Formats: sequence, C-alpha cells, structure tokens
Amino acid sequence: MTTSQRWQRILIVLGCAVIAYAVLAPLTSLDGAQALNLPLLTDKLWFRLATITAMFVVMATAWNIIGGLTGYAAFGNVAFFGIGAYTTGMLIAKAKWPFLLALPLAPVAAAIFAVLVGLPLLRLRGHYFAVASLGVGVAVGELVQNLDYRGEPIFGGASGLFMPIFAVPNRDLYFFYLMLGAAGVSIAVTWAVIRSRFGYGLIAIRENEEAAAVIGVNTTAYKVAAFALAAALTGLAGGIFAQWNVFIDQENSFPIAYNVEMILMALLGGTGTVFGPAAGAVVLQLLIQFLSGSLPITLDLPFVPEDAMPVLAQVVLGVLLALVVIFAPRGVIDFFGGRSRLTIAYLRRSLRETSI
Amino acid sequence: MADLVQLVTIGLLAGGIYAAVGVGFSLVWGVLNIVNLAHGALVIVGAYLTWQIFTASGLDPFLTLPIDAVALFALGYVVQRGVINRIIRAPLLFTFLLTFGLNLIAVNVLLLIFKSDFRSVTTAYSGAGLDLGGIVVPYIRLAALGSALLVAAALALLLNRTRVGLAIQAVGSDRDAAQLVGIDLRHAYAVTYGLGAACAGVAGGLIAMIQAITPTAGEPYTLQAFVVVILGGLGRVSATVVGGLVFGLVEAFAQSIPGSGSVFANAIAFGVMVLVLVTRPQGLLGRLR
Amino acid sequence: MTPQLDLRNVTKRFGGVAAVDGVTFSIAKGEILGVIGPNGAGKTTLLNCISGVYRLDGGDIRWHGVSIAGLAPYRVARLGVGRTFQIVKPFGSMTVRENVAVGALFGSDSERPPLRAAFDRADSVLELVGLRSKADLPVSALTIPDRKRLEVARAVATRPKLLLLDEVMAGLNNVEIDDALEMVRAVHETGVTVVLIEHVMRVIVGVCERVIVLDLGRTLADGQPDVVLRDERVIQAYLGERYARRLRGG
Repeated sequence: MTTSQRWQRILIVLGCAVIAYAVLAPLTSLDGAQALNLPLLTDKLWFRLATITAMFVVMATAWNIIGGLTGYAAFGNVAFFGIGAYTTGMLIAKAKWPFLLALPLAPVAAAIFAVLVGLPLLRLRGHYFAVASLGVGVAVGELVQNLDYRGEPIFGGASGLFMPIFAVPNRDLYFFYLMLGAAGVSIAVTWAVIRSRFGYGLIAIRENEEAAAVIGVNTTAYKVAAFALAAALTGLAGGIFAQWNVFIDQENSFPIAYNVEMILMALLGGTGTVFGPAAGAVVLQLLIQFLSGSLPITLDLPFVPEDAMPVLAQVVLGVLLALVVIFAPRGVIDFFGGRSRLTIAYLRRSLRETSI
Repeated sequence: MADLVQLVTIGLLAGGIYAAVGVGFSLVWGVLNIVNLAHGALVIVGAYLTWQIFTASGLDPFLTLPIDAVALFALGYVVQRGVINRIIRAPLLFTFLLTFGLNLIAVNVLLLIFKSDFRSVTTAYSGAGLDLGGIVVPYIRLAALGSALLVAAALALLLNRTRVGLAIQAVGSDRDAAQLVGIDLRHAYAVTYGLGAACAGVAGGLIAMIQAITPTAGEPYTLQAFVVVILGGLGRVSATVVGGLVFGLVEAFAQSIPGSGSVFANAIAFGVMVLVLVTRPQGLLGRLR
Repeated sequence: MTPQLDLRNVTKRFGGVAAVDGVTFSIAKGEILGVIGPNGAGKTTLLNCISGVYRLDGGDIRWHGVSIAGLAPYRVARLGVGRTFQIVKPFGSMTVRENVAVGALFGSDSERPPLRAAFDRADSVLELVGLRSKADLPVSALTIPDRKRLEVARAVATRPKLLLLDEVMAGLNNVEIDDALEMVRAVHETGVTVVLIEHVMRVIVGVCERVIVLDLGRTLADGQPDVVLRDERVIQAYLGERYARRLRGG
C-alpha cells in the first residue's frame, strides 16, 4: 500500500468514526439510555457546539456548490442564512405558523432571492462578483434590521424577533439531529451534483466559461441554478437556527464573519470535493470554539486578560487564514486524497507557484 | 434652494473624504489587481496614528498627515513585500481572502491595544466654520476636502511625472514586459501598495478629525472605496476623485429622503454599485477592466 | 435548396473599425470550405459572429433559412454549429475523456444522453481523432498538437452539423499537419460540414473544395483554391503591391 493510500484509509476510518460518534453519542442522553446506565456522552454544551458545527457543515458544503464547483466565489452567502432565519422566524412569530410548516419556506425564500439577485450579479466576473456579493450580504442584513413601515420595524428591528420555544422532548437532541440531517442533505446533494450532467456543466463553467458556452452549456441558467441551490441549503440552516436559537436579530443572523468562515472551511478541506468542506467545517469550528474559550479545555495565556481572548481568537483566525491561503491553497484534503504529501517541499512548491 | 445648496455642499465635503479613501484603493486595484479588503483597516490605522500623536503631543492634526503618510507607506511596503507578494499569482479568491485575513488581524490588534472605546480628535477650531449666507461650511471639512484633493494631485503627479510613477504604470500595464525592461517587480509592487496605504493613512487622519473612531470604524470605508472606484472608473486618479465626489452627493441626497438616514449607508453604497455595474461597468470616466 | 449557413452583409464593429464589413456568402451542407486572409482580415471575428460570441452590428446569419443572429452561444451550439478556439480552451481539471464527454453531454442532440452514453460517445470520438490511447491522461500531460486534437474532439462530440475550425494547424510541423489533415478528412467523412480558418496554404489546397479570401473585413474572392490563389487581388493582399506588380510583369 502506498503512503497516500494509507493516508486515505486513515482518513476514511477517522471520518466514519466521527460520523458514528456524532450520530450515536446523543442517544446516550435519552431517558431510555440512562435507564440502562449508559455513560452520558453529551450535555447541553456538547449539543450547542455540535449543532453549530453541523450548521457550518451545511453552509460550507452549500458554498462549495457555487464557489468550489462553479468557480464563482460568492462572498455574501450569509444573506441566504439570514433570509432563511427571518422567513421561518417571521412566519412563526408574526403569522403564528407551526415550526415544521415554516421551515420548508426558508430554503424556498432564499432560493427565490438568489435567483433575483443572481441574474444580474452572475454576469459579473472575478473581483466584481465577489465584492458585489459581499455587498448583498451586508446590505440585506442592514435592510432587514432597519426597514420600517409607518414607524414600526417590519422585521423586529434592533430588538430582534422572539419565537415561542418549540415544545418537544429532548429539544437539544431534536435540533441537533435536525441540523445534522440538513448537513446530510447538503452532502448528499453535492454528491449527486458532482456526478451528474449538471455538475459537469458547472465544472466546465469553472474551468472555461467561454468553452462551456460554445459546446452547449446554458451558462446563465446553470450559474443561477447553482447559486439558488447553495442559497436554499444555506437558508435551510438559517431556518433551523431561528427556531433553535429562539431569538434572531441582524447580529446573529447576518454575521459578516460567517461569509469568510464558510469559504475558509471549504478551502481548508478542499473545494470541489464532496466531503472537503464538511471536514474543513468540523476542524475550523473546533478551532474557533477552542480559541473563544467555549470548549471545556481552554488555553490560559499568562499575559492575556480574559475578555481579550475573543479578540485574540480573531487575530489567530486571521493568521490562520493567511497561512492557509499562502501555503495550502488546494486544501488539506488534497494531502489525503493522495495527490500530494504534507511536506516542506510541498509547501515550498505551493509558495513558488504563486509568488513573484 | 438654500437647502439644495447646503445638501450639495455637504455632499461635496463628504465626497472629498471618499475620494481620499478611494485613490489608494484604486491604485492598488488598478496596478496590482488586488481588491484590498484591508484598506479600511489601513485607513483606521492612520486615524489612530493621528489621534495618538495629537493626544500625546498636541500637534495640530493636519500636521500629522505627512507622518501618517510616511508611516503607512512603510507598513504597506513591508506587508506587500513580505506577505501579499507571496500569493500574487494565485487566483483572485486567494488575494481576497488574504487581505481579509490581514484586515482581521489589523482590526483586532487595534482592539487589543485601544479597546473599542470611541476616540476623537478635537481641536480649538473643530466646531467652527464659514457662514456663507446661511450655508454652513465647517473649517475642518473644508480643509479635509482641500487635503484630499492635494493628496490626489500629488499621487497623480507622482504617477505621471516621476520615474517611480512610470515604473508603477508599466507594471500595471504589463507585468512581464515591465520585468523585461529591468523593473524590479517585488519592489515596484511593494512601493505601489505602500503608496496606496499612505493615501489610506492620510484619509484616516482626515477622518479622525471629522468623526469619532473605533477599531471597527474602517470597515464601511472598504465597501465605499469599492463603490467609488466602480463609480468613477478604474484607471486614473481623476476618475476616482470624480467618483468620490459623486458618491458623496448621492449619499447626501439619499440620506435627506425622510425615513432613511445613515443606517442605510451600506445599502445605499451597494445599490449604487449594482446600478453602475449593470448599466455602465466602466464607470463614469474609466476603461473596462 | 436552402444553404446550410447563409451570411448576408454581416458587419461587426469595434469602436470605429469594422472588423467584418458586409461579408456575404453561403455554405452548402457537406462542403469543406477554407477561409483565408492576412492577419487582421476578420476571420476569427467572423467565426465569433457565427457562433454567437459577438453580436452583429449589421446583416444577418441564417441557419437552414432561420436567422440565428443574436442567439446566445449555447443556443447556436445546440442547433448544430460547433467550433474550436485558436488558443485552445480545455477544461484543465478534467481528463481527456472527461473533456470530450462534456461535449457529448451538452451537444446538439435533442435528448439528453445519460452519462454512460456520453462517455461511450467520447471514446468513439477519441478514436476518430487519434487520442484513444491518451484518454485517461490529465490535459496538462498533452502536447500542443494533442491539445488541438482534444479541442476538435470536444467540438465533434457535440454532434455538430457544421464545424468551424479556427487555425487548428497553427504551430504544427509538417508531419503533424499531415496527421491533422487526416483527422479533418475523417471528421468530414462522417457528414459534417467543415469550415477551416487557416494560414497554412498546404491545408487549404490539400483538403478544401472551395476557399473564401477575406481582407480588411471584406470578401476578396470566393472559389476553387487553385483559381483563387492565382487571383491578383489575393496575391496583392497577402504579399503586397510590389510583388503583385512583379508577377504581372511590370
């Protein structure tokens, strides 16, 4: 067995172990399991972190469809998250819809918005598209927070939107599985797209849009479809988040940081692959939580006061971003995919290819 | 009528700042093909530098502007030469992410040093202004507009009349051809980014005199710089200046509509940008890039 | 009989310059036609107009009698007009076979071929152009002549009724040109109308039944290769006034 095959095996085993743990460990929190004296592997904190991680798996995998497969690096996908969150939130809080009825409308609303915005936006290339999409992300958040109708904020304004708590036994477990399910759907969709005619069309657009057009790919329709698909999945995560968190506002539904985080996750894990973004999401989310001090294991730096930790965490994130972009642009999963090995030589080569 | 003139005045004065913020951004984008997401951070570093010098020594803030320029030039040079040059040949996404990362680092380091309290630079003449028949023109803003135009003119002069400037233009036109005629690419790139940072620093100094600053106050300026450059068009300093002034006017008028207000600043910026991109992508004065 | 492709007064301007200026000619189904002209004559521009990459500033282009002017490139491709690019545009991250299969997936068939059928068709097209043995290689491993073959293969996989080849011989040595000519003949024999934009005279004379000469955006001549190439205006356009005069004996 070659080294790369061995690494692949290791990765697959590791991946399966993580997935098995994620799916089965929560079951130990059920009353039935407790009655059997099974060790309690999860607690409130575990569920919170795990649900957020699953949420990012959805977002990173979704971004990959428009950014990794199609090559249009959107920088404002958090807009879809927020739209999903507010769609579900408004239906529940204002229209008094039940959660499970309101949830499916989140991806629908996000997708519709993506089509409307995507048609003009996807005609732009490179920088223009990136910043225009960033602008969308920022602007939508602002509009949602500040739009008034006759003096009253439409979407709850600065004080946000509150929802009644969704009454279900084992609520933490329920929402975790729901978000995990969304993650599963995202991955499954990506898997299906990559090996379909649609997927080949997207990759063709990424590799050479002009060539794709002259062999018969309807590039506009495909790009918008990919954008809408990414939006729908991201919106789904937002919809689940809204009810799970019970409270939504501009800050937690349209955080600008999410835009870069989902891209970094996809990049770290390997864009254009099925599991790459998911792997990147898990690794990066753990790192972010660790740095913010949310994990049971924390880092105590002697010179840094408690309240400066989140700020320092951001600095570390920035440094990490810079390092990944400079040294490992093809992502970590590239190593495990067997195409290259994590050596100094590889890092040096990566660097040489891109510097002057 | 008087209201209209006041509105135009406000718009032009604000536009001067936007122009100052935009010219550095435009230079880096036009020559290096980098959309510098850390531009807002460079602006705010300049602002803090001015504030620090002013608070520590009482030096008139306008006199700190040259210091801002030199210090930010050095910072920009080092950053470009040491970091950004390493991925300059990578696809657009990566330079984007890198500058975003640098922005993250810069803003948060500022947060660690200065905390998030608001600081301001208040001089003896801060509140005073000219009164032209009912139209109020604050001295500081007028001087800021003047300084901004001065910076733009200096930059244009440098780009068009000096060896360094011509080298930069050459590099911007054709990177490989520039190397063939003996231009040191790494140095030229670093100088360009340094100049962009210097302009940003001066803009920051001006901003410190006009508004209260906090480490995250630079963020909106990045998006606004982008809009200004798109509006005016890539290519010449004058195009960016026009873009800045026009954007100032657009914003002044948009905010005067009852019901809006500065909360919609980003939405307005975005709206203008999309409009321009969809109808006239080369901007008012620029060439298509 | 309606010509397969009919160009009437086709005009395309860039700024003040008319790159293509009132070009008019028709192509019959099954022809193998050459288009030549000095650099800047407007050959590639004309090709871009036909395939929908450029919008016309004047005139019309008809496919089997129906106007296709203004159609998006993908629609023109779906109607059965295939084309290659002068500077090849392969899909870099895919293998040779995948590149061609994508062509098969999106071509001018009315039904959508399932993946399996597309890959099968890719294999037979690779056989036709002589790349079968390299089917699993990444594009980066191909030589220039092979990349040109790949470009042609991808276009052929779209099942075109008309194939526009843009300087597919450029940069090839004599042996490679012979191989490429064989490939072009093979493609033509499957019933595809072929239009070759070329600089290499040997190709035009060797395989084209008819040649059109463009100069400064206008048609200069249109006829059989040996006749056209002896036309004084053609010689003048390519080689200049002095040489033409010398040939005339003045």
